[in-house]
Amino acid sequence: MVETKKLKWIFKKDIMVLWRHKPRLISYLLFPIIMITLFGYGFGGTVTNIPVVVVSQSSGPVTDSTINAIKSASLYDVTDVINDPNTGKQMVLDGEVKAAIILPSNYDEIPSSTPKNVILDIDSSDEIVSSALIPTTQALFSQISNQIGIQELQATGLSATAAQSSAINVQSLNQSQALSSPAAATTAGINYQNIVNSINFQVNRLYGDISYIDFLVPGVLALVILFSCMFGMGESIAGERERGELARLFMTPTSIATVVGGKILSKLVQETGRAILLIAVAIGLFGIVIAGSLLLTLLLLVLVALCFVGLGMMISARVSTQADYQQIIQPITLPMMFLSGVFFPVETMPWIFQKLAYLIPLTYANDALRAVMLKGAGIGAIWLDIVVLLGFTALFFGLGIRGFNRDV
Amino acid sequence: MKYAVETFDLTKNYGAFTAVDKLKMKIENKSIFGFLGPNGAGKTTTVKVLTCLALPTSGTATVAGYDILENPNEVRQKIGMIPQMVSLYGDLTVKENIHLCADFYGVPEDLIESRADDLMEMMDIKYAENKYVSQLSGGMKQKASVVASLIHQPDILIMDEPTIGLDPTTKRILWNLVEELHSEGRTIILCSHDMYEVELLSDDVGIINHGVLAAFDTPQGLKDAMISERKIEKTVQHSNITKIVDEIQKEASPEEKAAYDKIIDQAEKKNRDTRELSVMISNLNDNLLNQLENLSITYKITKQNSGRITMEIEDSDESVTQVISTIIMNNGIITSISTKDPSLEDVFVKVTAKKDNE
Repeated sequence: MVETKKLKWIFKKDIMVLWRHKPRLISYLLFPIIMITLFGYGFGGTVTNIPVVVVSQSSGPVTDSTINAIKSASLYDVTDVINDPNTGKQMVLDGEVKAAIILPSNYDEIPSSTPKNVILDIDSSDEIVSSALIPTTQALFSQISNQIGIQELQATGLSATAAQSSAINVQSLNQSQALSSPAAATTAGINYQNIVNSINFQVNRLYGDISYIDFLVPGVLALVILFSCMFGMGESIAGERERGELARLFMTPTSIATVVGGKILSKLVQETGRAILLIAVAIGLFGIVIAGSLLLTLLLLVLVALCFVGLGMMISARVSTQADYQQIIQPITLPMMFLSGVFFPVETMPWIFQKLAYLIPLTYANDALRAVMLKGAGIGAIWLDIVVLLGFTALFFGLGIRGFNRDV
Repeated sequence: MKYAVETFDLTKNYGAFTAVDKLKMKIENKSIFGFLGPNGAGKTTTVKVLTCLALPTSGTATVAGYDILENPNEVRQKIGMIPQMVSLYGDLTVKENIHLCADFYGVPEDLIESRADDLMEMMDIKYAENKYVSQLSGGMKQKASVVASLIHQPDILIMDEPTIGLDPTTKRILWNLVEELHSEGRTIILCSHDMYEVELLSDDVGIINHGVLAAFDTPQGLKDAMISERKIEKTVQHSNITKIVDEIQKEASPEEKAAYDKIIDQAEKKNRDTRELSVMISNLNDNLLNQLENLSITYKITKQNSGRITMEIEDSDESVTQVISTIIMNNGIITSISTKDPSLEDVFVKVTAKKDNE
């Protein structure tokens, strides 16, 4: 039987405890607000505003209407319209944009003697972007292709209505017969196949075919390290402080740097070991391929672990109980997970979230790991990520050591 | 070095709260010092500062001749500390914990094993050396903690509530250890709420209250001081009453004078030094009780259960003899008899209450 008075006391006690631990309370209230804000404004379920560059090698009404169509679609955020395909490709390789849509020089020729080869140079290392961009862009150019087909039929002398119906017929012919007999599409000297498929859409995956698991592993590695380090440091410092175990060490003639250094070293070794295990399992079970240097990948993982150990230490140095620590890190770690680009591309987030993402070390960790593991990048391509991570690490350790004291 | 610990206006503030307030205290070298104080009086904070776990806000202290601010590592090397606020790693064995502490104190590798063995034997915990600390009972944990705290052979051992929650046998093991360490020439600072323990072991006792040292002496010295203080208080009280009554009596009628004389008589009675006597009489009866009550040396008598009476009598050896002979003459059978002097607990309550009243 439930005893109301006692039940009320237990309820009251829990509320009072929460109320009296202000950092815990603030964090407790802040966490759902942060999460709902993130999901409400940032991750509504569809990917939009993917940064792309359009390479236009022709001019004319078709080019203009195509560019306008791309610009008006919410999926794309056209950062620039240029005319050199190599520059477009380089922009993708440099990570400035996720894709380059390259329109050929004969794009405005109607009728055209040769097919119009539209190329999508895409950053295939970003699976989320690829899976959104490829089918949508393909559908867009298929639609444009039909319209051009109508114009080409008009150019060959058919009336607009006939051309339109021919186009539809040809399309249906194309769909039903092309596979069994491509030659059947040719009637009375007009190559309907060519007319309907006036745009030849090609996807150029700059980093090859990358599977979803390949894409996921670098981000998951960074996440595993983040959570492990953050939760581990809570137990390692706040927990030991609470139980009086740290006091035992601090009573001996031992510097804070030695105690903290030992903890960092142990965490680093554990995390490196776990990262190696995770990579081995991913290779063994799912056949993932690391495009870049394995050593560089491991060194990056060590740096990432160091950075998050520093963050954990910085927070745990300032709290007196493990419960406070666990509550405080919640609104830090989970938003970090969503803002850093592990699951959703940073470039497709609202402006404010993009800015926030660049204040989060996990963003740089994720970026560097993906660059090395998926794109085969060397240290030269990720030096900025490394510098930023080192900066965060130094900051966290500086503040952590400063906030640390022997008073337990 | 005369003093193991000497504090110089030692102050520790936590925000607006002053936990230790310009504390001046000297603990003689090679003594057992009982450090008493009510909860929140500043005892633990003082210990934290002395063990270099917290920095003082102002003032300083020397421990084993080293300044806590200038030579904290030397201070740490000279001190051993036994909980409350310190504990061993629960997931390590007793032996592993001891080795960890030995290495942290820089004990030479070749000495660790033998020292650890000796200490574990002494504390009767050798048989549990390979057990995880988390698996041990409270008493065994405490024993293991003692071994870990002594592995570097500290000159000064601070014991913070060392016997709290321990069974009487384990308590006695710890008390024997304190005596033994003392005989080896170590200084022991014993923080405890167990007055019996402090009285039994300590050479000197300091009582801290509201961050200042409210009393400092030998246990007997503190008790004697309390008796003297009572006498002085009573004398002052009596002389005040007499003065007032004399003034009033100048103009009083004979009836009023008689009433005033009665007041003086009562005051004088009160002023006499008293002694508390507890007697157990197996065949206590009303007649005997009346006889005892009517003795001129009896001020107050209280009957308790099972034939026990508590008497407040004149403070003299003759008074005790008179009580005993009255009982015997009335065929009373005395089962037990004891007199009560002020205890250290009485001193503690008085000293800490005095400061609170101020």
